[in-house]
Amino acid sequence: MKKILLMGVAAAALVAGAASAADLKFPPGQDTKFNWKSYDEFKAAHADLKGEPLTIFGPWRGEDEAFFRSILAYFTEATGVDATYSSSENYEQQIVIDTQAGSPPNVAILPQPGLLADLASKGLLTPLGEENSKWVKENYGAGDSWVGYGTYKGKDGKDGYYAFPYKADVKSLVWYVPENFKEAGYKVPTTMEQLHDLTDQIVKDGGVPWCIGLGSGGATGWPATDWIEDLMLRMQKPDVYDKWTTNEVKFTDPAVIAAIDEFGKFAKNASYVDGGVAAVASTDFRDSPKGLFAVPPKCYMHHQASFIPSFFPEGTKLGQDADFFYMPTFAAHADLGKPVLGAGTLVSITKDSKAARAFVEFLKTPIAHEVWMAQSSFLTPYKGVSTAAYANEQMKREGEILTTATTFRFDGSDLMPGKIGAGAFWTGMVDFVGGKSAEDTGKEVQAAWDAIK
Amino acid sequence: MLSQIVSALGVVVVAVFACSAYFYFSNKILDLALPVKDGGMRAATRNLNRRAMIRPWLFLGPALFLLIVYLVYPVIATLILSFYDRSGSSFVGLANYQWAFGDREFRQSILNNILWLAVVPAACTFFGLVIAVMTDRIWWGNIAKSIVFMPMAISFVGASVIWKFIYEYRGGNDVQIGLLNAIVQLFGGTPEVWISVPFWNNFFLMVILIWIQTGFAMVILSAALRGIPEETIEAAVIDGANGWQIFWRIMVPQIWGTIAVVWTTITILVLKVFDIVLTMTNGQWDSMVLANLMFNWMFRGGGDSGRSAVIALIIMLAVTPIMVWNVRRANRELGGN
Repeated sequence: MKKILLMGVAAAALVAGAASAADLKFPPGQDTKFNWKSYDEFKAAHADLKGEPLTIFGPWRGEDEAFFRSILAYFTEATGVDATYSSSENYEQQIVIDTQAGSPPNVAILPQPGLLADLASKGLLTPLGEENSKWVKENYGAGDSWVGYGTYKGKDGKDGYYAFPYKADVKSLVWYVPENFKEAGYKVPTTMEQLHDLTDQIVKDGGVPWCIGLGSGGATGWPATDWIEDLMLRMQKPDVYDKWTTNEVKFTDPAVIAAIDEFGKFAKNASYVDGGVAAVASTDFRDSPKGLFAVPPKCYMHHQASFIPSFFPEGTKLGQDADFFYMPTFAAHADLGKPVLGAGTLVSITKDSKAARAFVEFLKTPIAHEVWMAQSSFLTPYKGVSTAAYANEQMKREGEILTTATTFRFDGSDLMPGKIGAGAFWTGMVDFVGGKSAEDTGKEVQAAWDAIK
Repeated sequence: MLSQIVSALGVVVVAVFACSAYFYFSNKILDLALPVKDGGMRAATRNLNRRAMIRPWLFLGPALFLLIVYLVYPVIATLILSFYDRSGSSFVGLANYQWAFGDREFRQSILNNILWLAVVPAACTFFGLVIAVMTDRIWWGNIAKSIVFMPMAISFVGASVIWKFIYEYRGGNDVQIGLLNAIVQLFGGTPEVWISVPFWNNFFLMVILIWIQTGFAMVILSAALRGIPEETIEAAVIDGANGWQIFWRIMVPQIWGTIAVVWTTITILVLKVFDIVLTMTNGQWDSMVLANLMFNWMFRGGGDSGRSAVIALIIMLAVTPIMVWNVRRANRELGGN
């Protein structure tokens, strides 16, 4: 008995000893593609936080949670902070409950600036201060835009900087299978006009050009909002887009109607979409890209953000079995440049503490980005990271779209009030695909917006 | 997993111990405070009476306290919040109520709720009763009953997931994996995206709740049917009544009270229906119901506590009369018999 006990203790000791070292995915100082200097400097500057508690609430679950924990391990290792991460399937609801109940986490990470702006207006966020906004402006691609997405009105009605961007997605992408394109002799279009031509050409050749799936359970409709936003940026000046997200430009405005109609050209044409128009609203967005890989292909193109390869069939090699091209712009609107639509998660402090501040500092180190980049599913507009750290060529190209963007615009539906961006807009898109006209759809969404003013 | 189980067990043990300790010691203290041993006969009787007066409150105390904290206080707080703006900080009078009755989505939800109320309790009770009567006298009746009762054990979300596969739609020339569409296709029809057909999708969602709740109605009604005195039925048979007449004129009147209870219980459940709609459509395609509308206003994008409070109050107002009626009826039956 005693022997077993001793062995147990020994085993426990071994496990405990191994834990801290094994938690770090890449041993500090070894791999030269990482910026270890930044890590060492951070470590030296924040050595006095040992044992401080830090609670982090974020949207990442499953695989992404594991990735984030691997980043967090570096933070804990460097500072000795006792950090705990938690998440919820319904994180948008959970954070509202937690903050209003007076038991917020120290740090909340959310992908919705609209929601954060709301929390800030209720005085539930702590301002991060000017030095952080300045840092983002200088170090991020299209830094001004990013600062804008973290600047909200506080309880006192004054503008403040509340949310630090960390981890981004690029949305202006069209996915395709290079082999299918090659076989049929199609070329990647560089203008929207060419994209229209290609779409028609595929139909003429007896194929189906697009796979579009708007299904997402209770969030059904959101993939269509990405389409509209991408098209808005390609048909209107960025400031029209900005005004649209704040409702200075109404949903009934001809500019918005035109973008919705432009989407309708693709989604409401039975010969353009796999499964016909009825399938658009009902196909789950996770299932939708699978049509690209069917033999013979059920469709040739799929408009979706950079995260979608997670839903490609297992074993799909990016670059070889599947690739993307930048959602092209209209030759007729050449003056609009090459806008990038994206999204991202924003880190804000919901309960101030030294450890929380240190965590934000930590996110400024290249290491906090590179370690996740090297594992997958992480893009960053941070110009100070080494792009060699990206896990593959595709991610590197997507990352470069972000760091070199001149016009970056955040997912519009995430900027709008939740009731619109995560409600009326989705429903409107579902109704639009279901047969409603763009005008009526615009009216409906606008009516919902008027109701919350 | 194991740690959760251990801590859950720990909580149960501590709670049970704390409860018994509360009753034991509060009783002890009461006995000590009002002694009956010394002080003479009169004092003893007086103390004995006082004890009898206080003791029920002592035992009811925790329950009353919890009732106030978890029921009365929230209702009052909700009422107050309904007069305030979205963040609950400035008074807006009746603006939220005004909004509610002018809002298209709100009216849609009321309409849908009425639709649910009209169909689901009636259907559950009807099917429950029919199945209870029909399975009463056949040898495999109990097996049939178990099968009908089984969905009761499935959570609403679980049931919705199952039914999602029944309504599943595949586009174009794909093989339909949804049961309903497969049947439609078998008979030469065109497959539909069932849950996105406005108005009718309400009924497709209702079917799920009917499927779950019929078992409940059946079990209760079946028990009531067993309670009907054999003599009344025998007498009817001797008088030459047929099955139909026996059912409607003899059986139903005698279990009328139970039918009403089943009906109202399901009615209250329907007024609170939430999970099924959330899982299946989240209120899109005009299938919104009040509970989901309230949830959306409260928790989507920062939330609006004023408007969601109004919706919560309306749900409560709708449930209350049925509850009151139900409790009264139960009281009368207890007192009457």
